[in-house]
Amino acid sequence: MSKINDFEHKMGAHCETGTLTSLFNYAGLEITEPMIFGIANGIFFGYLETDTFPFPTFIVRSRPGQIRKNITKRLGIKLFEQKYKSVEKGEAALDELINKNIPTAAQVDFFYMDYMPEWQRVHINVHFIIIAGEKDDKYIVSDSYYPRIAELSRESMRKARWAGGHMPPKGFLFYPVNVPQKIDLKKPIIKGIKTACRNMIGLPVPFIGVKGIYKFADKVKEWPKIARDTEHLSHEIMKINILLEDQGTGGAGFRFMYASFLQQASEILSNSDLADMSKRMMKNGDEWRNISYFAAKIGKNRDLGTDKLEELSDLIRKRGDEEKAFFTELKKIIK
Amino acid sequence: MKEKDLYVDFSPQQMIYYVEKDDSSYGPIISGSQLSHDYLDDFYYKKRNLEKSLRDQIAKNEISPVYYYMILQELGMGDLASRVGVGKRKLKRHFKPSCFNNLRLKMIKKYAEIFNVPLSSMFQVVIVKDDDRKNIDIQKMRTNNDSFELLKICAVDKMEDKKS
Repeated sequence: MSKINDFEHKMGAHCETGTLTSLFNYAGLEITEPMIFGIANGIFFGYLETDTFPFPTFIVRSRPGQIRKNITKRLGIKLFEQKYKSVEKGEAALDELINKNIPTAAQVDFFYMDYMPEWQRVHINVHFIIIAGEKDDKYIVSDSYYPRIAELSRESMRKARWAGGHMPPKGFLFYPVNVPQKIDLKKPIIKGIKTACRNMIGLPVPFIGVKGIYKFADKVKEWPKIARDTEHLSHEIMKINILLEDQGTGGAGFRFMYASFLQQASEILSNSDLADMSKRMMKNGDEWRNISYFAAKIGKNRDLGTDKLEELSDLIRKRGDEEKAFFTELKKIIK
Repeated sequence: MKEKDLYVDFSPQQMIYYVEKDDSSYGPIISGSQLSHDYLDDFYYKKRNLEKSLRDQIAKNEISPVYYYMILQELGMGDLASRVGVGKRKLKRHFKPSCFNNLRLKMIKKYAEIFNVPLSSMFQVVIVKDDDRKNIDIQKMRTNNDSFELLKICAVDKMEDKKS
């Protein structure tokens, strides 16, 4: 067995949307990654302080797996989805799918994707890849984060598919079994935007949506108290850049990709207001990216005094102000 | 952000970013990571310092290798406890050398599996002087015996001789 002949590897900004885009395109549906992200209301913000993570952190997208659930429901796509408690059964199921020439997505712990640069590999149980064949007892992998088709040993794949911990993969596999070839995207777009507005400004949770951005702005000033030392603080501050730019967001914490979605949505809905909102979101993304640059700079220079963290906090707070106004406006437009 | 303002030439870490193209449309480009391009040296500098500091703490009998790898691999305590299948209180006890030294081999193997290190790395850290890093290749090789590993040390030029 070797690579599934006609499967084409494509990079994606994000693993979940990238994987879905590749699978849907392979199944004959022409749809872009930003469109999947937007329809599935992937845009989000949450500030998290739990012992699941070694340090307070934030998320800029909806809960992993939610994009898959939303997009399939809203576009009427049917997926085969299965978790496997038994390693033997889970491996046999994957081998059978490869033999049937079916590119199949798997949930894995990113840490074991040993084709990725070492500095990128962290334990994240909600990474998604496509297994596109098998060669010399290694899996052929299409990973949205990797420029080329990659290979992964059976041992690494086993560890990655059955890693325990927070949101464990449990051998989860999925692939589309029924994909409509022509879909009217108008209603799903509206639904996706409405839900995104609700998530960002309408949920009564103090660490979610715009409230989460404000919480982040407040809490980042307290990080020196919980960091082990200056170098640890520098690392965590510089990770703001990673979380916004380099952890599969398409840049600026998914804000650039959401701007792209709104631009495409404005054309489909013939709505010029959405085109304006798209430009506004792109500018908002630029400011998020400035936060990334600023965090990297002060982290590298160990310039982490109260004044700099106040400055960082202000920059984040301003994003909260802008996104509050933005999603309030967007909600009115899409009504 | 405009394509020309975002693009970074850095082949070791390439990703998709969404940008404003010349024709004002928004779409994907492949670019290197700005952070890794500019600051990867600093990342490794801090990591080496952290490794040394934790290693010293193990040597002073202050922490166990479980704590060492948990911090180095940036695992949350709750996450690690769940991966190992123990409660957080029990995990905290495993941070203490006195408790770690009495752990069953099966449990230590489980930790090694999760940290993705050979079993022997739960008991020792191999240090190579900075100057010698380029000249020496060290590989820990697993065998069919779960409790027995081979440590292969090769001078790099010798390895190249073998290849040729």
